[in-house]
Amino acid sequence: MNAAVVAEDLRKRYGDTVAVDGVSLTVGEGEVFGLIGPNGAGKTTLVRCLTGTTEYDGEASVLGAAPDEVERSRIGLLPQSFSPPERLTARELLEYYAGLYDDSRDPEAVLEEVGLADDADIWYEKLSGGQQRRACVGITLINDPDVLFLDEPTTGIDPTGRRGLWRVIERLAAAGTTVVLTSHSMDEVERLSDRVALLADGQVVATGTPNSLVEQHGGDPRLVVQTEADAEALTEMGYRIEEGAGELTLHGIGATDIADAVEALSAVGVSYESFTWTEPTLEEVYLELTGRRFGRERSRSRVVAEDGGERMATEGER
Amino acid sequence: MSRVGRIVSEFRAGARAFLRRRTAVFFTFFFPVLIVLIFGVLVQSQPTGGGLFAEPPGYYLPGYLAVVVLFTPLSRVGSEFARHREGSRFEKLATTPLARWEWLFAHTLVNVLVIGAASLLIFGLVVALTGASIAVGPHLLLLVPFVALGVTLFCGLGAVLGRVADSQDGVIAASNSVALPLLFLSETFVTPDLLPAWFRPVTDFSPLTYFARGVRYLTYEGVSGAGAPDPTTLALSDLGVLAVLAAVFFVAGAYAVPSGD
Repeated sequence: MNAAVVAEDLRKRYGDTVAVDGVSLTVGEGEVFGLIGPNGAGKTTLVRCLTGTTEYDGEASVLGAAPDEVERSRIGLLPQSFSPPERLTARELLEYYAGLYDDSRDPEAVLEEVGLADDADIWYEKLSGGQQRRACVGITLINDPDVLFLDEPTTGIDPTGRRGLWRVIERLAAAGTTVVLTSHSMDEVERLSDRVALLADGQVVATGTPNSLVEQHGGDPRLVVQTEADAEALTEMGYRIEEGAGELTLHGIGATDIADAVEALSAVGVSYESFTWTEPTLEEVYLELTGRRFGRERSRSRVVAEDGGERMATEGER
Repeated sequence: MSRVGRIVSEFRAGARAFLRRRTAVFFTFFFPVLIVLIFGVLVQSQPTGGGLFAEPPGYYLPGYLAVVVLFTPLSRVGSEFARHREGSRFEKLATTPLARWEWLFAHTLVNVLVIGAASLLIFGLVVALTGASIAVGPHLLLLVPFVALGVTLFCGLGAVLGRVADSQDGVIAASNSVALPLLFLSETFVTPDLLPAWFRPVTDFSPLTYFARGVRYLTYEGVSGAGAPDPTTLALSDLGVLAVLAAVFFVAGAYAVPSGD
């Protein structure tokens, strides 16, 4: 796969603040690449570096050219807090941005694609939040870019609107458009991205497919049991058990082990109100890696080790 | 073709966005009308009585025109700048083929048309309400480039102020701070003889002075007479200076347009 976007030791400072600190990454052609990280991690600054809208130190290229020299018609950007002229209709906005390119898509087709054909003659300021964001995505698609940078495209949109935008992005990806996507929504990134980079303090903390990140950093699947029972009662079950307020967490229980675990609870005479089974997700990877980075406070929960001994939970176990 | 297309597209969007802000349109025309009504109708000029308005009404036409040529581009381009920054529009435009100077040129065109219309209104009101006597002739057509270049100049300055000020409030404060002294110290409403002798050369540094002088040469009958230089020739001289200054300020304004964050 050819590289569409390359960053090598990219650095950007704003005064004394280091926004991007030695980022290196490669995004293949046709790949959807997710950038996640806490506020201030450097995601937006990295997007600015890669779109040539800010100066930086280090090496970067988009479609084989420096970001500020790449043919403008081949890239698209949806800035994080983008707000187009609010008293133009959705159709006028698309016609306006289409007019900035020598060769653009038919605005009517783009309106159809982002689901605004029926509301095309409504002023932008009168559209709902979801419709506004779809109009913004439509603006970004008007030049039919090869590489698309979407900086938090679904922020502030209701679940229905988000799913509508996800479908648009999925269609673009299926058509071969390279997408660099930043988001605080882990389910969004997990669903859409082929690969993900987690940024913290301007550095890439982890990179990989969502599944590989979850496998490496997400921990075990677990069963959380709402019970007043003491962890000591479950030591013979052979699971690693974490004790919290009014609940016990049994680690390492896969989907096929749930019934056995519940039976085992009954067998040792533990009564419970309810239980919840959870698989590790990208969100847990995020919390794990950024929590470690930002020095999460040590939990008060105890871990009852498989050997029955007791100790404080280590960071890796939380 | 593509460059023209980009400018037309930006111009069309800018014009629509402005014309649909009804309060902005209203005050763009109402403010100069108010000035004419207050000074031209209520206060009135008193050619024999001394005071601030001691010249015949026709003398002040350049001043009334200067109100819109100066204030409107400064505040409009400055505000547009702030809106673009707050909405990350410059960041978006930086990833399109639209050049910075093309953006400013398109918005300058919008201002030229709006202020051209406002200037016609003021011209008519001054003649109709204050009884100003105007030297009528084909030379009046030169008012068009005077207004266009004046607007271009202050659009450039508005862009610079928009870059320097970091918010819409800041833009308004900055443009008022620049515009008010310029308006009264550029041979518009205050005649040079009302200023201290040592200060009079300072007015030559105001770009608005060349607008006011040139327009006065073209419209005010009091500047022509036997043995006096041809007013149109004098006006062309001021138009030349104004053109050079407009080019300088436009280039500065184009550089002030952000190419990113």
